[in-house]
Amino acid sequence: MDERPEASLVADARRGGREAFAELVRRHERRVCGIALRLAGNAADADDLAQEVFLTAWKAVGSFRSGSSFYTWLYRIAVNTSLSFLKRKGRERNRAPFDENRNAAVPGSDAAPGPEDRSALNELTARIDEAIAALPAHFRASFALVVDQGLSHADAARVLGCSENTVSWRMHKARKLLQARIKPFLEEARR
Amino acid sequence: MRCQTARKRVSDELDGALPSGRGVRLEAHLRTCRACRVYREDLERIQAGTGLAEAPDGFWTAFERELEARLSAEEAGRKRVEVPFAAGRRWAWAAGAALVLAGVSLWLALPRPGPAMIEEAWVAADDILDPIVRAVESDPELAGRIDRELQASIEEMSPVADPLFWESLSDDELRAVVTAMEKESGLGGPQ
Repeated sequence: MDERPEASLVADARRGGREAFAELVRRHERRVCGIALRLAGNAADADDLAQEVFLTAWKAVGSFRSGSSFYTWLYRIAVNTSLSFLKRKGRERNRAPFDENRNAAVPGSDAAPGPEDRSALNELTARIDEAIAALPAHFRASFALVVDQGLSHADAARVLGCSENTVSWRMHKARKLLQARIKPFLEEARR
Repeated sequence: MRCQTARKRVSDELDGALPSGRGVRLEAHLRTCRACRVYREDLERIQAGTGLAEAPDGFWTAFERELEARLSAEEAGRKRVEVPFAAGRRWAWAAGAALVLAGVSLWLALPRPGPAMIEEAWVAADDILDPIVRAVESDPELAGRIDRELQASIEEMSPVADPLFWESLSDDELRAVVTAMEKESGLGGPQ
């Protein structure tokens, strides 16, 4: 494991250092895959997208400005690549509306267990993931950055290229939609 | 505080984006509004139930290996494409430079009319006109005929022939014409 600070790795990668870039990949692969998974909705596409993100980053790292934050730059590539992918596949147009009787797969696992095998918490988690997957893409992107990756509104705004207020508003709307969509499960959990 | 505002602030609070002053007012609203309290509990439950499953063992090693292979292939492909193209581009630049050089040389080598040449042309025109003028001067009948033709052509172009001639003149031009006529007729006062 390379202990060098990120700025030094980025500088090496800009000069064509593959080892330095490999270390940057190791440091950010989980987060990039997480963003791609949240936006693509399935592990196989997320894996491909994450590969594409790092390939794009490698090709463009020479143009990265050393004054800015590397992870902001990388996450922006991840979000843009994922959104382009969604556009390409026309998933946003054909996205199935929320169906509470449909079984949702837990992200990261290909075989989802049957409802009878799930604990109540797993059931709720699956419903939440399913409801998040049904959110509009830009809401999902904000959700992935703020909730999954723990970014502040300011950092998420930098990644998404919008204002903090926009991120705050999207988060509010996304949560309102999620709460409305899984209300029966939440009521069940309250009892 | 309206419930709508309170719910937006609940969302901001979950993201750690609520200023403390607003938090106090939010708490005051929540103490009196059961629906908003339930809403906050629901959002907290959603937040707790949100998370991406851990990737299976060996996933990241395989991911890094695949990316490494793709980066190597990308670089090999780039070299294959860039080297012949770069050589071709050098040839193209060389050919372009040679063409420009040839064009400049040709332009410098071409004979252009200098002051001496213009004078020669003027003298040549004099040489042509001189015998004509001498012939006209020696033949009074020919001179008379030329005078008549000149007079006729002047009359044809005179203001009398074109009723709109005066209309087309500006005030300054009209004043100049009047002054010239007055001078000619001796009515314009002392010269």
